[in-house]
This record gives sequence, C-alpha cells and structure tokens, in this order.
Amino acid sequence: MDERELIARVRAGDGAAERALYDAHVDRVYRLACRLAGDDDLAREFTQDTFVRAFERLGSFRGEAKFSTWLHAITTSVVLNGLRKVKRLRRREVDLDDAAGVTGTRRSAEPDLKRRLTLAIDALPEGYRTVFVMHDVEGYTHEEIGATLGIETGTSKAQLSRARAKLRDSLADFAGEWVS
Amino acid sequence: MMDDRFEQWLREAARDYHRPPPPGDTPREEMWRAITARRAARRRWGLATQPAFRWGVGIAAVLALGVAIGRWSVAPVDRAPQIVVSSPLAYRLAAAQYLTRTEALLTGFRAETRAGEPGGQFATQARDLLATTRLMLDSPAANDVRLKSLLEDLELVLAQIAQLPAGADREDVQSIDQGLEQRSVLLRLRTASPAGAAARAQGAL
Repeated sequence: MDERELIARVRAGDGAAERALYDAHVDRVYRLACRLAGDDDLAREFTQDTFVRAFERLGSFRGEAKFSTWLHAITTSVVLNGLRKVKRLRRREVDLDDAAGVTGTRRSAEPDLKRRLTLAIDALPEGYRTVFVMHDVEGYTHEEIGATLGIETGTSKAQLSRARAKLRDSLADFAGEWVS
Repeated sequence: MMDDRFEQWLREAARDYHRPPPPGDTPREEMWRAITARRAARRRWGLATQPAFRWGVGIAAVLALGVAIGRWSVAPVDRAPQIVVSSPLAYRLAAAQYLTRTEALLTGFRAETRAGEPGGQFATQARDLLATTRLMLDSPAANDVRLKSLLEDLELVLAQIAQLPAGADREDVQSIDQGLEQRSVLLRLRTASPAGAAARAQGAL
C-alpha cells in the first residue's frame, strides 16, 4: 500500500493504518529526537508527542511536501519547544558557576575529546545546533532541513558553516587530531 | 584543505553525539501504548468539553442538588421510616432543562427523517440524554406517574436513536418515527415541558 493511501485510511479512522504509518516512521522520528534531546526519556516523550500531534493534525496535511518532511517538522518543533522548557527548569536548579565555561574548558580540565565535542555541540546556539545535527550527524540535505525547519536552503548552509566554525574554535586545542 | 580535513574529522567524531539505539532497539511498542493512551485521554477530555456533555453534567448536578436540599431540609426524627422530601424547585428546573433538550432532539430527528437521512449527531446526543433519562427515572422526579410514563417512553426512543448505525436503513428510522407518533411522545413531551412553548416561540425548535 502506498503512503498516500495509508494516510487516507488513517483519516478515515482505520486503526491498523495508524499503526502502519507509525511503524514506517517511528525509527527516524525517535532517532532525531534522541540526537536533539540527548536523553532517552525525553526522546521517548517527544516522539510520543510528535505522533499524538501528527494524528490529530493529519487533516491539515495537504500532501504538498513529503509526509516525512511534515512529520519531521512536527518533531523538531516538539523537541525544540520541549527542550526550551527543560532548560528553563534546569536553569533554576543549576548553579551559575557550573553552567559557565563549557566551551572555554582547557584540555587539562577535560581530556576526553568526544566529551568535549559533545559539550561544544550542546553549547551551540539552537539554530546552529539543529542544522548541524540534522546535516552532519543525521545526513539530511539542506533542502530537507529547509523544508523541515521552514527556512531557506541558503540559511541552512550559512548556519551549518557558522556551527562548524564555532566548533573549530571550541576544539582548537585538539587541532592535532584533524591536522595529522 | 584544513577546513576539509576538519569537516571530515568532525562528521566522523560527531557520529557518537547523543547516539540513539540501533533501529531494532527503538521502544516502539512501549511508545505506541503511550500514544494510544494519550489519544484516548484527549478524546475523553474533548467529549467532556462538548456542550452536550456539559448539559448532561449540569442536569445531573441539579438533580443531585435537589436530593441534597431535600435531605438537608428534613429535620432528623427518631421514627422510622424516614421520609425524604425533595426540593420541588430543583427537580422542576432539572426536568425542564432535560425535557427541553429532548424535545429539541426529537423534533430535529423527525424533521431530518422526513427530509432524508438523519445525521450521526443524533445518536451522540441521544446517548447523552439517555444517561440523564435513567438518572431522572431513579430520582424522585419519577414519583409523578405521568412523568415516569413519559420518561420510560423516552428511554426506549432514545435508546433506539443512540443505537442507529451510520447510514441506517430507512425502515429502522421509520419505525422510530412511527413509535414517536403512535405513543404521542412529542405531544406529551411538549405538554410536560414548561419551557417548550417559550423555546418554540423563539424559533429554537
């Protein structure tokens, strides 16, 4: 059964079609949620929220874009809004001194390159990080990112370039890793 | 050159960034159960915020208030059995609201039956009113013999409408219509409903 027919069946209230549509897309949605959220419980919560919203709003899907693009747009919106709420909550809990210096940590203080890279990506501005994760980590094209995030392809390219530049600065003391 | 090397290194190194479990390990069953539960909860909440449901709850609340006032207004006495007097005002108000809504439903149902096929909204409204009818039958409002007889007829009619499937046979619909006619349900309903005349005068029915 092709996806358009599957969507028509879901709209008609076919429960089996809902499950089939979920099965076809859940891996990718969950994967993106994991990458952006960095926490399994949050990723599950965001994935569930994405599908609840998608099924509720399926009537508004006009089929102009691919269904996966439409669904991933809901995913990124759910994840980014959810993370903003989580950040606000955590900001109240975390001491200001602990939060500072993520990118300025010296090598002696944080010898593990992967850990430093993770912290540096986490510290990127939200737009840069989203584009970087989608493009460099998950392999989306700039066209897909543009359609998903509702931005121009050129904006996606520019944000990726700035994200890489910031990461390069943050990891400058590890330059030997990629120069050699 | 340096940029290319860095980008290549970055891509490889970033593969481990918040690495998700492999596709086979996606907790799909667990998440699906949560999704269906959340959707069911939202549907229930949506139903609870519909005007028809709120009316039902309102009428039930008025009935309960009537019982409470009735019990409160009777001074406790030692002799048994204790007589519970209901509040006539509360019951009259609840009955008036219920009868007006039922009259509106049945009038609309008959009009659509004669014009063609009645819409599915009648079944939903009938289910809602059926619950109130049973509440009324169990309340002191049913002490009135005429009202009790009317409520019993309404229970039957509303149950029939509530069970009508979408795209029901014309014969099923006509048999409900005939039942309404033969037992003069609408006439008795209009006689019993104090608000009916006013509502009809305003063109609501």
